Amino acid sequence: MNAPPAIELRGLTKRFGDTLALDHVHLVVRPGAVFGFLGRNGAGKTTALRILSGLARPTEGTAHVLGHDVTGATDAVRAQIGFLPDVPGFYPWMTAREYLDFAGQLFALDRTTIDERANALLEMAGLASVTTRVGSFSRGMKQRLGIAQALINAPSLLMLDEPTSALDPIGRREVLEMVASLRGRTTVFFSTHILADVERVCDAVAILERGRIVESADIAELTARAPANRLVVELEDDGAAALVASELAGRTWLKSVDTAERTLRIAVSDLLAAQREIPAAITSAGVALRRFEIEEASLEDVFVELVGGPAR
Amino acid sequence: MTGFGAFLHKELTEIRRTWRLWVVPGILVFFGLTSPIIAALTPALVQSMSASQPGVVIRIPAPRALDAYLQFLKGLNQFVLIAVVIAGAGVVSGERASGTAILALTKPLSRGAFVVAKILSQTVLLVAATALGTAVCLGMTAVVFGEGNRAGLVAAVALWLLYATLLIVVMTLCSAAFRSRGAAAGAGLAFYFLTLLLSAWGPAARYGFVGLWPAISGALVGKGLALGWPVATAVVAIGVGTVAAVRIFERQEL
Repeated sequence: MNAPPAIELRGLTKRFGDTLALDHVHLVVRPGAVFGFLGRNGAGKTTALRILSGLARPTEGTAHVLGHDVTGATDAVRAQIGFLPDVPGFYPWMTAREYLDFAGQLFALDRTTIDERANALLEMAGLASVTTRVGSFSRGMKQRLGIAQALINAPSLLMLDEPTSALDPIGRREVLEMVASLRGRTTVFFSTHILADVERVCDAVAILERGRIVESADIAELTARAPANRLVVELEDDGAAALVASELAGRTWLKSVDTAERTLRIAVSDLLAAQREIPAAITSAGVALRRFEIEEASLEDVFVELVGGPAR
Repeated sequence: MTGFGAFLHKELTEIRRTWRLWVVPGILVFFGLTSPIIAALTPALVQSMSASQPGVVIRIPAPRALDAYLQFLKGLNQFVLIAVVIAGAGVVSGERASGTAILALTKPLSRGAFVVAKILSQTVLLVAATALGTAVCLGMTAVVFGEGNRAGLVAAVALWLLYATLLIVVMTLCSAAFRSRGAAAGAGLAFYFLTLLLSAWGPAARYGFVGLWPAISGALVGKGLALGWPVATAVVAIGVGTVAAVRIFERQEL
């Protein structure tokens, strides 16, 4: 028997008064995936996560987690989920260790399991030697503790809302490595507006824009599907890029051109025409060519194409 | 009521580890210590004031243990109940605003367990603090005045605790219903003053929990007021208020 999808949204809609936060969202996340939920700030990511975690109710449609409707989610379902909100709130008088103890007790774990997992998770979060109260933690420390508490029950589904947004580059890398290490064992569903994070660790992605899913696919499929439409030209002579750019001006297939001293990045609408005409323009400008390359489409290209602006 | 034990343990530990351990018991011990002293000094103070005004003669009977007990009850009725209102105003809304409720309630912790643990922990703190304050008052009164109607004070304090528990439930309900701590405190104060006013109306005092107000001092001075309806309706109101607080919180989106 096939396992149910880790997450399944069908026509999920959420209104706040006149504001439509989620507009008939359909989404399926397969078990074991590391799934990026990508969108600009205000796109509706947090609203969707609040519904999935049982904190809010849909206006229309359904949301299923591990095969169960979230509106009637039992404690048994919640026991299989780990959740980190965008700004995790901790009791300031507790230590990190005490919070993990508290979380473990809510999951009715036995003392030995709590101790073992808390030790491992504090080590992973870089908080093993920290004995001060959470009230004195930096935002990054709180975020790392937030991830640790979300893993105390060894969840089947881990839902993270912007888990790296408050972290420094090293903390961000550690979190992403931790997320990647869960691949195949736990379904990870994390929302973010940082494209690089999704490209780095996710198998699949859904792009949310103004409450609607505008694309949902495996990363590889998505980038392969996007047409390559940018060329990189590197020249031998300083200042030659501007010369070639002026030669190319007015071509019908030219969408944009960015020039540096010796390099041009050329966005085109007709790749074949550009491949034919650019070398001719370089020759006509009397410039020597060092490199001429078609640039693979990135997730950013896809995102810009779909949403009309960079996520970050 | 999943997660009730773990959350109640957290609540009680929080009381032990934060200002709450000291403030409410501190207030009650303060009243326990000072009430007999104030009762003993009040006649002398009043007479010294009247001595400065020729022709005015004020006769004040010698203070007794009863005056110390009444002074203690006055402190409970005024300051401690207001402290209950202020402290209770943020009991749910504070956790909602700080995000701590979200982290806890996305685990196997029911909202009912969350609310009931809040009510129970506050009640435990208040009962323990009141017992301590009452013991201090009884001891201090014995030192200053000798033995008084100890059983009367204990009965009065027990009735007061019943009303205070009801106020805790009402404050938890208000804190669950309003996002603002100020709004919850305002509603709690309105409840406090409304019940105080209604206690002066005979039928309400006879058949409703507002009858606890006159019953508290009545128990101390030995007035044989009928307690059945006030006590029964207070118990029912505590139950109904708790269920209402749970239902309101369950329907809220966090």
